[in-house]
Amino acid sequence: MMQTGDIPIITVKADTIPRAYEQAIKEVWENGISVRTEYDRPGDPPSRDATVVIVVHQPFSQPRFHRSFADGLGGLAEYVMEVVHGAHDYWVKPLEEILKGTESKDTRWTYTYHGRLFEYRIEDAVINQIDTMVKKLSEAGFTRRAQAITWNPKLDPPTEDPPCLQRIWGRLCEDGEGGYVFNMNTHWRSRDLFKAWFENVIALTTLMRKISDSISKETKKPVRLGRYVDISDSLHIYGSYFREIEGDEERGIKSFFEKLEGRSFEDRTWHSNFVKPYFIDDGVGKGLKPMLEREKDMPAPVREAITEELRLMEEDDYIV
Amino acid sequence: MAMFEEIAEEVVKGQADKVRDLVQKALSEEISAEELLNSGLVAGMNVVSEKFKNNEFFIPEVLVSARAMHSGLDILKPLLAEANVKSRGTVVLGTVKGDLHDIGKNIVGMMLQGAGFEIVDLGADVPKEKFIEHAQQQEINVVGMSALLTTTMVYMKEIIQALKDAGLREKVKVIIGGAPVTQAYADQIEADGYAPDAASAVDLTKELLNL
Repeated sequence: MMQTGDIPIITVKADTIPRAYEQAIKEVWENGISVRTEYDRPGDPPSRDATVVIVVHQPFSQPRFHRSFADGLGGLAEYVMEVVHGAHDYWVKPLEEILKGTESKDTRWTYTYHGRLFEYRIEDAVINQIDTMVKKLSEAGFTRRAQAITWNPKLDPPTEDPPCLQRIWGRLCEDGEGGYVFNMNTHWRSRDLFKAWFENVIALTTLMRKISDSISKETKKPVRLGRYVDISDSLHIYGSYFREIEGDEERGIKSFFEKLEGRSFEDRTWHSNFVKPYFIDDGVGKGLKPMLEREKDMPAPVREAITEELRLMEEDDYIV
Repeated sequence: MAMFEEIAEEVVKGQADKVRDLVQKALSEEISAEELLNSGLVAGMNVVSEKFKNNEFFIPEVLVSARAMHSGLDILKPLLAEANVKSRGTVVLGTVKGDLHDIGKNIVGMMLQGAGFEIVDLGADVPKEKFIEHAQQQEINVVGMSALLTTTMVYMKEIIQALKDAGLREKVKVIIGGAPVTQAYADQIEADGYAPDAASAVDLTKELLNL
């Protein structure tokens, strides 16, 4: 694409997460601009980048899982637990130490999404923003004020890896049959499309369902999931991934797009039913059961929440 | 033999239950554990490794295949030990101290295991003392280190220095990898090799051990 200095704005709409994911990669690759990032290694080409709005009309429709992401299915399950239940909030450095300044050798985390969304610290208060969203929406579904932020203007600017997710916003609409539809938007400052987007969206749509279920419980009315909208100021494909995307004809290495074209959509995605046993235990050390066995220091309430999630997963009709 | 091809095919497809059943059936037909390992499980993982290297397989698919391989290997392991079957070498692997990212290291481990190596996986956030403790053991041929962060990869240099201080540097080959790591960095810290991906790590290990 010719460089004009303007960042392109791309819109992608699809019924399922894997379709949206593939379309977004194609669009950013073909229509994004070349921009350098803080993470480029010497010799890496500049990233391909755009402002992107992605609409997934039915986030839980099947197939829900693409096979292209930078982890295994058990690892993905653990990441979902991190975002939804705070599995790794105990890996975060205490606030007092963050405020003192980060030592270069200290690699403990400075935040988690769960920590910021469920326990946002401001002045002397600790605010559960997701709980506030549920309450606001349950009282008046049409409200435009149901949101949760992550950014901390005091703590985040000096750190190496400030949060990518900035804000979650939700609204209820009546479905015309006495129930509600929960619509959710997520807003991202910056995002690795090729190796993070898919996992982020699986976790965020699981959180979307959790919020929706809580509203249903509170209002005693059926709430179904509406569309999920994902808005990134900078959605990018890092230069270090270009080798993987472009392939190498001489060495017989296929490009990412050849890999997609060479297989049917069914053969490059998975249904939730296939994924579920791997979420429970992937057989190679990851998943909910190995996580509970491995992480002995995990606080008891988090352990209980994940144990409950495990119980739900073992039921036939629970969709991961 | 059709049985071996079938096992290899089910490993590639990631069908853990089928691999387990086929391995058990083959053992009941008195096929040796070593043959089942090399011509069935390892052959299947070789296909997976080749497909991954050629960008035909996605990372999660490699792990699904690895699970299938493990379902067969778990049955064979005690039999292989009984028959005193030797592996191609033993590699101790770990993500260095301060770094909790382990997916790349895990895939390297599975690929190496699929290529017939024995793996001692130290996990993530591994201090140099633990690397040294394991490198001292007789059977260890290779030390593999991984890091995903620029802030943690510098620890690899400390581990190499610790190996030198312990008089182990000549005993073991050191390979490194991870997103911020480069060949130039490997040269700078005097590692024996750098691999940009898991399949290359297998090739590199074989090359360093003259296999």
